Amino acid sequence: MSADQTEILAAAWLSREDRGLTPEDQLALDAWLGDSLNRVAYLRLKSVWVRADRLAVLKSPLPLAAKRAARRPVVLAAIAAALTVMLATGGYLTWRLQAEQSFATDIGATQQVQLADGTRMELNTNTRVHTDVTAARRAVTLDSGEAYFDVVHDARRPFIVYAGNRRITDLGTKFSVFRDGDDVRVLVREGQVRVDMLDKTAMSAPVVAQAGHAVITKGGETLLLAKPDHDIANALSWRSGMLVFSQQTLAEAAEQFNRYNAKQIFVEGDARKIRIGGSFKADNVDVFALLLRRGFGLSVNDEGERIVVSR
Amino acid sequence: MAENLIDAWFMREVMPLEPMLTRFLQRNWRAEAEIADLRQEAYARIYEAAQRERPLQVKPFLFQVARNLMIDRLRKQSVVSLETMADFDLLNVSDDKPSSEAYVAARQELRLLQTALDDLPPRCREVVLMRKVEGLSQKEVAKRMGITIETVENQVAKGVRLLAQALGGRRGAVTSEARRYNYFRKPRDVG
Repeated sequence: MSADQTEILAAAWLSREDRGLTPEDQLALDAWLGDSLNRVAYLRLKSVWVRADRLAVLKSPLPLAAKRAARRPVVLAAIAAALTVMLATGGYLTWRLQAEQSFATDIGATQQVQLADGTRMELNTNTRVHTDVTAARRAVTLDSGEAYFDVVHDARRPFIVYAGNRRITDLGTKFSVFRDGDDVRVLVREGQVRVDMLDKTAMSAPVVAQAGHAVITKGGETLLLAKPDHDIANALSWRSGMLVFSQQTLAEAAEQFNRYNAKQIFVEGDARKIRIGGSFKADNVDVFALLLRRGFGLSVNDEGERIVVSR
Repeated sequence: MAENLIDAWFMREVMPLEPMLTRFLQRNWRAEAEIADLRQEAYARIYEAAQRERPLQVKPFLFQVARNLMIDRLRKQSVVSLETMADFDLLNVSDDKPSSEAYVAARQELRLLQTALDDLPPRCREVVLMRKVEGLSQKEVAKRMGITIETVENQVAKGVRLLAQALGGRRGAVTSEARRYNYFRKPRDVG
């Protein structure tokens, strides 16, 4: 979609918002804004629309100062709102100094943790880790789920993630590890990591994965494959609360949603093969279902605890 | 979510740079039709970068991103000499003053806005004027002008794009296309 087309949609949304959004509109707008290209187009117009508030001084011969004063409460409210948000996010960023710790997230939740060595760790939905960071060693064990690491490199004290039967050693990097039983998936965004088997008797050479690569393991097998930047970005979009799909099947998309929500979505029959793209709030399976009905004319049956989608 | 903060940051720190960015792109990119795409892509990249870590120096960063995008595109065209790439104008991107100063002084700002408002097509201008100068809601504007609220909504959408164009320093291009605005009945059909 060209910038102009996106801008036309952004203007339509802004104008609808200026008129007043229904709750349903709001959900759809939020979903639409999940795409950065959409979001910046919208923010660009929004900043202009807010700027145009200054035209209010043309209304009457009142001096500028008086008009400004009238707008101040809005500004204060905005600052207050911003502060609230800052405090709320500050709460997530947990500073810890103790060596051994455990962290866990519920379904649909994420958590950011700053470890004692400065490394940042972000936990995705339904994840459990424990950490052991001392002057001598840095180790994180991923019991279940998925975590992203932005590692402060220290050659004398490698950063190691244990997941299933694998050990992932940072060689200066940002990467994520997803674990499902003993199956492990590692995505490398920057730098490189080494992945090896914990079982020393296994005849398995370590694999070094560079930025832009994924390592997928199953039992004793290890697959190394190149991933385009946008695939990696999509796979890590959970860090901003989004799920981004590009040409995935509906079955795969549903599986992703089900990691984040207690309310599970089931896709039946040949609807499972439909390919979709787009970005969605991970915790809003209702909007996703709504868009499936609208976009593909699928029948969507909301049974309360689960949603069944079919042709 | 922290997104609200990034949104606010984006509008406060990045948007004031738009006229400068647009001129930079126009100087270095011949295909005028692609300027808006490049600009939007640059915005999206800087927004995504800020989600990870907010850049300390916005101006040099934005221009670097824009420059890289142009280089990427040139590479894809694959018929470009190295000289063209070396030619990129990277002057005036040092961050010698806070970017908020890039917004013009208040009085000049009002004059800019007023000119942009006056340049709107008559009906669009009237709607924006009632909405922004008189402070009426869209519903009240519709009532006052004796038109449907959908029409008001369309005119607002049209107005905000034209204002953005006038203030963003992008010349030409949108105006003729701005007449085809019957798009707005279905902004919800996205995805």
